[in-house]
Formats: sequence, C-alpha cells, structure tokens
Amino acid sequence: MRAVAETKQAAPDGTPAEQPVVLEISGLSKSFGDHAVLRDITLKVHKGETVCLLGPSGAGKSTLLRCINWLEEPDGGAVFLAGQRIGVRPHSNLRMTDRELAAIRTRIGMVFQHFALWPHMTVLQNVMEAPLHVLKRNKAEVRQEAEALLQRVGLADKVDSFPAKLSGGQKQRVGIARCLAMKPDVILFDEPTSSLDPELVGEVLAVMRDLARDGMTMVVVTHEMNFARDAASRIVFMDNGQIIETGRPEQFFAAPKTERARQFLMRYAAQGR
Amino acid sequence: MTAHDYLSIVHGALATVSMSLVSILFGVPIGLGLALIRWSRLPFLDQAAAVYVSIIRTCPSVTLALLIYFALPEVGISLDPVPAGILTLTLSTSAFDTEIWRSALINFPRDQYDAALSFGMRRGLRFRHVVLPQIVHGSLPALVNEMTLLVKASPAVAVLGIVEITRAAIRVGARTYDPLPPFIFALVLYSLIVFAFVKTQRVIERRVAQAGASQ
Amino acid sequence: MSEFAVVWQHRSMILVGFENTLIIVAISAAGALVLGALLTIPLMSRLKPIRSLATAYVDAMRCVPFLLFVYLLYFGLPSLGLRFDNWSAGVAALILYNTAYMGELLRASWSNLPKEMIEAGHAFGFSGWRLFRRIILPPVVFSALPLIGNQLIQIVKDSAFLTIIAVAELTHEATSLQTTYFVPFASFIAAVILYWVTCVTIEGAVGFANRFAEDRR
Repeated sequence: MRAVAETKQAAPDGTPAEQPVVLEISGLSKSFGDHAVLRDITLKVHKGETVCLLGPSGAGKSTLLRCINWLEEPDGGAVFLAGQRIGVRPHSNLRMTDRELAAIRTRIGMVFQHFALWPHMTVLQNVMEAPLHVLKRNKAEVRQEAEALLQRVGLADKVDSFPAKLSGGQKQRVGIARCLAMKPDVILFDEPTSSLDPELVGEVLAVMRDLARDGMTMVVVTHEMNFARDAASRIVFMDNGQIIETGRPEQFFAAPKTERARQFLMRYAAQGR
Repeated sequence: MTAHDYLSIVHGALATVSMSLVSILFGVPIGLGLALIRWSRLPFLDQAAAVYVSIIRTCPSVTLALLIYFALPEVGISLDPVPAGILTLTLSTSAFDTEIWRSALINFPRDQYDAALSFGMRRGLRFRHVVLPQIVHGSLPALVNEMTLLVKASPAVAVLGIVEITRAAIRVGARTYDPLPPFIFALVLYSLIVFAFVKTQRVIERRVAQAGASQ
Repeated sequence: MSEFAVVWQHRSMILVGFENTLIIVAISAAGALVLGALLTIPLMSRLKPIRSLATAYVDAMRCVPFLLFVYLLYFGLPSLGLRFDNWSAGVAALILYNTAYMGELLRASWSNLPKEMIEAGHAFGFSGWRLFRRIILPPVVFSALPLIGNQLIQIVKDSAFLTIIAVAELTHEATSLQTTYFVPFASFIAAVILYWVTCVTIEGAVGFANRFAEDRR
C-alpha cells in the first residue's frame, strides 16, 4: 500500500513531481449547441493524486469528467491515459470503434451521482459483472475479490441483496466497490454524494478518504468542501468552462489567488459549509 | 382485376366499417353502464358484471361470433348474420370500454364529488354535471384507441359468412384464379382505414392533452 | 343439459383443439418475444434509415387487420411460389404480426430506462451485443412484464382466427363438434370457458413473475 507521502516532494501547485502521469488532458473543448461548456482545458493527473474539481454549477466540471472516458465526446483537444490516447485511434484521426473505446474504459473507473447500479443483479453480481464478462477473468477469483471489496466498504452482509433494497449511501459504496473490482488506473467521481441524504454522506466520504490514503488516483467533482480540504492532494477550481486556479488545498482554502475563487469560497462560507 | 372487382372490395370494406361504427355507438354507453354498476358496488350485480367483462374480454371475436350465431337460437334468440355480427362486436367492445370507464371513475378525484354533495346537488345532477364531463375527458384517448382496435378486429365476422371485405376479396380471387391482387388491395385498403382512425386518435390525444394542460 | 353431456362424451375433440391452441400460442409467443427483443435494436438505432425501416414495419402491422394478414400469407403467397400449409401460415402470421407489437412495447420500455444505468455499462467497458444482452435487455423485460402479459393474451385470442384457414385449434374443433353432434351452445361455451381459463392463468403467471421482477427494477 502506497501512502500519499509524495506530497513532500510536490511542486508548489500540488502536483507530485516524480510520479508518472496517469491522465493527460490537453486543449480540451466541448460545446452543446452554441454554448461552450469547456474551453481549452489542460490538466495532468499524476499517480496517487486525489484531484478535486471545484466550482459553481455550470462550470463544466461534470462535463470535463465525462469527456475523460468519452461518455461525452469532446469537440477539440485530446485525452491520454498513461500515454494512450482515448477516443481517437493512434496514428490517425479516426474515432475509435465502440469496442476499442470499451477496452480502454476498463482501465478508468466511474462513480455516478445517481449510483447507476444494475437493478436486475444482486450487489455481489454488480461487483463481479464487469471483471467476469468484460475482462473474462476466472469466476472463483472474481468472486473472492468481490466479497473482499464489499467487506472493505462495509457491506459484507448485503452481498445477496438487490439494489432496490439499499439506502443511497449503501448503493454508492457498492458503486465504489464495483469500480475497485476492475483495478482501474484512475477513478472518476461525478458528484458522488450529491444525491444522498445528509446523514448518509459521511459513510461514502469515509470510503473515499480510505481510497485516497491507499494511493488510488482519483478525480473528484464534489461540493463537499470539508472532504476537499482534508482528502484532496490538489484543488482544481473551474468556472465558466475554464480552469481558473489550481493549488494545494491548504493554500487554496486559506488564501485563494484569484478573485473568482475568493468569491466562490465566500459564498460557501456564507452557507456555513 | 376489373373496376367492378375493386368496387366490390371497397363495398365490403365499408360494410365492415359500418358494422364497427354501429357497435361502437352501442358499446360505449353499455360499457359506461356496466362501469357504473361496478362503481356503485351493488351486491350481486357488481360481481356478475366483473365476471361477464372478464369472460368477454378474453374471448376471441371469432368464437364469440359463432356462439352468438349458432348457439343463441337455442335460447330463442335467432339472429341473421349481420345483426349477429353487430351484436358480437358490440359485446366485445363494451367489455373493454367498461374497463376504460371504470379506470376513469376510480381515478375521479373524490373531493370534487364531495364538493358537489356539500352543495346539495341531487344525485342525477351530480353525476351529469360533475362526474360525467370529467370522465369523458379522461377516457377519450383510451376509448378512441379501443375503437381503432375494434375496426381492426371486425373482419372476424367473416366467419359468419357475411359479405364484407374478407368475403369480397375471396370471391374476386376465386373468380380470377389470382388471389394475390385482391388480397393485397383489401389489406392495403383496410389498413388505410385503420390508419385514418389512428391519425384521428393522435389528434384527439393531442387536443385532450392541451385541454388538460390549460386547466 | 344433455348437450353438455354430449360434449363431455366427445371431450377429446375439444381437448385436442385446446392442446393445439396452446402449442400454437407457445410457439408464436416464444418466437414473437425473441424476435421482438431483437427488433428493439433497429428500432432504437441512431441511424435514421434503419430506424425508419423498423418503425415502418411496426406501423404497418399495427394497421393491418390480422385476419386479412393470415389470408394473405395462406392464399396469396402461393402465387409467388411460396407454398405454406395452414399450420405454417398461421404460426408464421402470428409470429410476424406479434413481433412488431412485442418489439414496440419493449422499445418503449427501453427508452424509459434510467440513462445512467446504461452509461455505467459503457463506462465499465460493455459494448455491442454484450451491453444489450447483459445490461439493457433484462431490465427492459422486467419492467415490460405486464404489457408482455397483455400481448400474450392477445396472441391467444388471435389464434382463434386460424379457424378460418382450417387449423385444428380450439374454435375449429368446437365448430366441428357442434356441426357433427348438433350441440352448438355447449360446445362453444366449453371453448369460451377454456379461453377464459387460459387467459386468467396467463394473467396469474404474469402477476407472479411481476412480483419476482419488482425487486429487480
């Protein structure tokens, strides 16, 4: 288990200098009709980082996340996973086939705001499904790992339950276990606690904190400022489709460099978060 | 196929459709009556109506037509093929209409009814002025859908030997030894008639939705 | 009442007809369900020509009266060199006709599925046939169960039309019985009751399956 102690050698803006680059986003842009949602986004995520994307609604945070695994297709720019370009075939400008896209997506995990569990499968089957039927791994091994993961997120007693019977917090923990079963290079979290009742948020954030501590590379879109402050290794602040400011959480929350970041934080302080 | 052949098929189509329309005319109010009987929960009639509707709804039109034409004479009701056909279609559609009306009655907001009661409206008036307009409005799309389905199922009466579209097409085919063209013509013609009903249905659905939205 | 006694005496005729009806319904329902599920793919296709073609087929079957369709297949097609016996024509008509209805109701169920669930499928590396078969199809079928049940009942009723092309199903056998032994009332009542029992059983089975499906929605 790798600890995130690399921050000792991190650059001032929080990027751990000596870890390999897991995700590279270069000049990414995306519009919906006339509305430009992402403008020229450039970002590198290193191994072991927990990057929190913060910003007001409509800033483009979720869209950016969804462009990483090409659930939204960007209009311009490129995304690379450990050096391999996502969505476009190497040495050409042709879009990848669905199958090629699917293959590279197996290395990127995603946790959805509304959990997106498969309702016709039990909790255990949900966690086993992709490793078994996409990666074609051995069933006994997959089952063992799945049970261990569910134990780790605190749901060992729910393995044979159907998602319909679970609370929101439980569903989201299953969602996280489901990602971990694929042993991804990076996990994308799209507002993982926004749909939860307040008393259920804590259990999910606890699991996410554990993951961060264990060195999982994570990109998190969230409104949970306390989580961002405690668990993030780097804050990326976005507004209006652009990255306005990045920095270590201690620096960002205490002394934001830009006016827009200041205003954003003031609004959140006023709301008592 | 001669012009006369085409005409005889058109004639047959119109015969089928007019039988359907007559059946709809009778079937819709009968359905309302049965739905009210069930809504009022009168002890024996409620169950009887429920059983009747259940049996008729699951009965194929062909079988019902044969039952009415061949079996009813035994209990004294002897019908010619055309009235027997109309009766079959009427009973069949009324059973489905009963369920449509019932659904509207069940979903009728109780407080409106109570408001009418508190104003001292007499029962008949209550029903005609408060309940009926609203359930007509709510049932209209489903009722029109059922009309379309009835028109589509009405060739079933061919089994009674009535000269309608099926028989007309068969006759032409038998005469010319070339059954395919008259059947294709009959199929296309009747499908266009059904299509016209479907279009009307969509227009009515849209109007009802707009009227509902403006309330 | 002696009519019913006669029918009871010759009940094997009615039962053979009933058995045939059940066989016809089982084969047609299975065929229509499988082909209907496959039909959802072109119906939901992003490519307009494919989608239009599939939709045109569905719209056509919704406007065509089933009896005329049966006639076309049985009497009309031999002119094109395709010779069907009455059983094959009947079952083929039932399958072709109901595939369109099954396809449409399954398609409606598909478009009502929560989008995120399918997105998760994509995000985890499912694509193509695997995505359809493992992620999309089961929830589609589970949520469409009541409508599938209604369509099954419709197939039972449509099977009676096949009496007109002399297929030995229930209505045909009941007619045979009544013309041979002059017992129209009893024989058709027997047929009506058997249809009713079949449909009520289907409704019960669907209700049972629905409870099974409820946890899985």
